Amino acid sequence: MDALLTQVPIAAAVGAVLLLAALGLNFTFGQMGVINMAHGEFLMVGAYTAFALQAWAGLGGAAVLVALPVAFAVTALMGLALERGLIRHFYGRPLDTLLLTFGVSLLLQQLARDVFGAPNVDVAAPSWLAGGTSVLGVWLHHSRLFIILLAAVAVAAIALSIARSRSGRYMRAVLHDRDLAAVSGIPVGRVDAATFAVGSGLAGVAGVALALIGPIGPSIGSSYIVDAFLVVVVGGLGQLRGAVIAAFALGALNAYSELWTGASLAKVVVFAVIIAFLQARPQGLFSVKTRALA
Amino acid sequence: MLEVEGVCAGYGRAQVLFDVSVRAESGAVTCVMGRNGVGKTTLLNTVAGLLPATAGRVVLDGTDITRARPHRRVRDGIGYAPQGHGTFAPMTVAENISVAREAAGRAGPEAVEEALELFPRLRPLLDRRAGFLSGGQAQQLAIARALVTAPKLLVLDEPTEGIQPSIVAEIEEVIRTVAERGVAVLLVEQYMDVALRLADEVAVIDAGRVVHSGPRTSLEDGEAQKLIAI
Repeated sequence: MDALLTQVPIAAAVGAVLLLAALGLNFTFGQMGVINMAHGEFLMVGAYTAFALQAWAGLGGAAVLVALPVAFAVTALMGLALERGLIRHFYGRPLDTLLLTFGVSLLLQQLARDVFGAPNVDVAAPSWLAGGTSVLGVWLHHSRLFIILLAAVAVAAIALSIARSRSGRYMRAVLHDRDLAAVSGIPVGRVDAATFAVGSGLAGVAGVALALIGPIGPSIGSSYIVDAFLVVVVGGLGQLRGAVIAAFALGALNAYSELWTGASLAKVVVFAVIIAFLQARPQGLFSVKTRALA
Repeated sequence: MLEVEGVCAGYGRAQVLFDVSVRAESGAVTCVMGRNGVGKTTLLNTVAGLLPATAGRVVLDGTDITRARPHRRVRDGIGYAPQGHGTFAPMTVAENISVAREAAGRAGPEAVEEALELFPRLRPLLDRRAGFLSGGQAQQLAIARALVTAPKLLVLDEPTEGIQPSIVAEIEEVIRTVAERGVAVLLVEQYMDVALRLADEVAVIDAGRVVHSGPRTSLEDGEAQKLIAI
């Protein structure tokens, strides 16, 4: 029983990181239909941003907090450059985009090896995140609570801006029907670029969170990217609440099957469950409802 | 207001429009007619900027907009309700209307009220998602969305297709009102009776070419009618 409860915060923290990583994919893959294999590397860049601020800029424990906006800005700019420079020319060609961004992903990993070295590095959590609290006999790491809070704030901010702001309305319009949006006066190219930038920026924030839960290395992104794609597919393309549920479900599934079976068999279990789920509900947990039959 | 001069356009290697010239004047309804697949929608997409013209010019109010992107053309004064009463299904009726008004940046919030006066049926539906509207309601919303951009030229692609007669009458009334206010209306319409009630000018397209154009009365000529007969 204890072991079961102990896994709860672990599952929630993994779910929170997955959610942050998947939020961006939710826009770029779920709605724009771009398979951005380099999205995982934006996580890696975010994590190394925290490392660089700590080890090089000497910010110490505060580095993690400073890294949140900095990582967002850095990866948002990288995402913007990737979209404007490459992906924009390949809309409607998903296979080419996949190969292209896979190449970018390899480039970024090698770049990280050259700059930061191949071995994993650690980012020290600030002292106020170092400890934990015991609740009902379950040890809650403060850093894990912080990550869950971070994901909650990010989801709330995104949900609010999509629902209420003008740019949120533009984004929903473009994602639903590009041509209709264009003939309604919406600058679709700019909306694409902004959507991509925000999605990439969120991956950067997820990367900072990753730096808090464990060591980081040049290929850390690739270990999360598949799970992040799974969150989007299981949650339903472009569905925020689906992504939230799927992220935590996947986090729990990962944590518990690892507890009972070990790391590699756990992956098998997770994939088997997801394949079974998608057989029953290929559209994911949620999908856009209309009167249309299709 | 709108001059389409010698426009050619198509999809890939399949050319659809050949040297098409059409004009739409302010305060008048210009009706583009023709059978299925002759290029009517292609012409409207070329006017709206969704499809590039491979030759010829599109001139709005004296300005050459042949190379302008679609959202620029909306800001220059073209309001377009494409075929199939397209709406932003996941968004509410109110959002569908306001997003176009904001994006076009040509009219203040009062334009929303004006559009709702023209389409009173939409008023009680403002909070409903557009995906749950009936065909007739969705078509009214599509036209309302084009109108809140305060267009100089309103482009409508088969606004009465598949819609119950009582709502067709309401839509016709709106088109007439909008034209009376000085807007140029470019309308694709397959049905002779609707065209005869609404049009000031007609242009008949067959196999991608304009084969007849003139005032509505010219439609009474049997030769022109044959070109439209389905």
